[in-house]
Amino acid sequence: MSEASDILNRLLSSEVKGDLLVLFHKNPGIIDTIDGVARRIGRTGNSIGNDVKDLVDLGVLERKQVGKHEAIFLDRKRDGEVQKIIGNYLNSMKKKEG
Amino acid sequence: MVRVRTGISDLDKMLGGGFMEGDAVLLAGSAGTGKTTLALQYLVNGVTQFGDAGIYVTFEQLPDQIYRDAKNFGWDLRKMEEQNKFRLICTSPELLLETDGGESILDGPIKEIRPRRLVIDSLSHLEMFVPERELRKEAYRLIMYLKTKGLSSLLLWESPQIIGNSFSVTEVGISFLADGIVLLRPVEIESSMRKAIGILKLRGSDHDKQLREFEITTQGIKVEASFSEYEGLMTGSPRKKATLGEAIDQFSAAFARKEKKS
Repeated sequence: MSEASDILNRLLSSEVKGDLLVLFHKNPGIIDTIDGVARRIGRTGNSIGNDVKDLVDLGVLERKQVGKHEAIFLDRKRDGEVQKIIGNYLNSMKKKEG
Repeated sequence: MVRVRTGISDLDKMLGGGFMEGDAVLLAGSAGTGKTTLALQYLVNGVTQFGDAGIYVTFEQLPDQIYRDAKNFGWDLRKMEEQNKFRLICTSPELLLETDGGESILDGPIKEIRPRRLVIDSLSHLEMFVPERELRKEAYRLIMYLKTKGLSSLLLWESPQIIGNSFSVTEVGISFLADGIVLLRPVEIESSMRKAIGILKLRGSDHDKQLREFEITTQGIKVEASFSEYEGLMTGSPRKKATLGEAIDQFSAAFARKEKKS
């Protein structure tokens, strides 16, 4: 499996990930605790923990320790790279189909 | 004394030229009075008129809503962010107040764009995360952090009291910590809701003591004349002041009534 399809599969693997991606893309200035992020999509910190971890592993989100809290925010550079990889992949798929 | 102008010319006149540099000013008012608009205008004018970079910290409202609302006034905040003149940070009070690791979440953006102005929307949100007995201490710590960084800050405060006789800016003594207090207040005059702006306090500076009317226009806040024809605005039940002619007429009528009785 190519890197692009692997990323795409992981991004589309849950509804929460979709909600998180929309939230951070619309609001790139969010830097918040996991509970704070969860509140902004109408969920709880516990329910989004695994999805946040996946997005951190992909590099789309970053984690930073601020005192006793962990802050989560969008890695704008890596996010741009991921979008480019997915865009190229989707374009090549279209060409194949065409 | 160096002043930080808001760029709203009539408000700057009320302030004696602008806020004092490095001051923390409380911008208090009930919901819908225009606190966010005035605060954004302070930052946008800073960028466009005075070359000052600015940071807007929001606890509740999401940035995309702020970008959209700002665009209605012709302010392109995203473009200003791309130009490294503006940052919109959306966070929770507990994270902003966290300094155990020695670093604040504001340190990075402050290093990046070197702002002169900062807005916190709103300080009243600290109440949700800090016990009341510690609120003043935490607010003091935050204000001192902003002052140490040399920022001229506007701290928004949502006053629950919309209209009426009893009025306090904050219930927890925050107004004593602020260097200045700008009050936005709805007033009911002849069955219509109008908006008033006043300077309650400006440490170390003279300022306009009158309440002035303001409007939220398509270009932002526009300060207008004082409510010179009315008195008792702070009570929420203003009365029209009698003109000299009316006062003479009233006196004559009262005198005539008295004469008739006797």
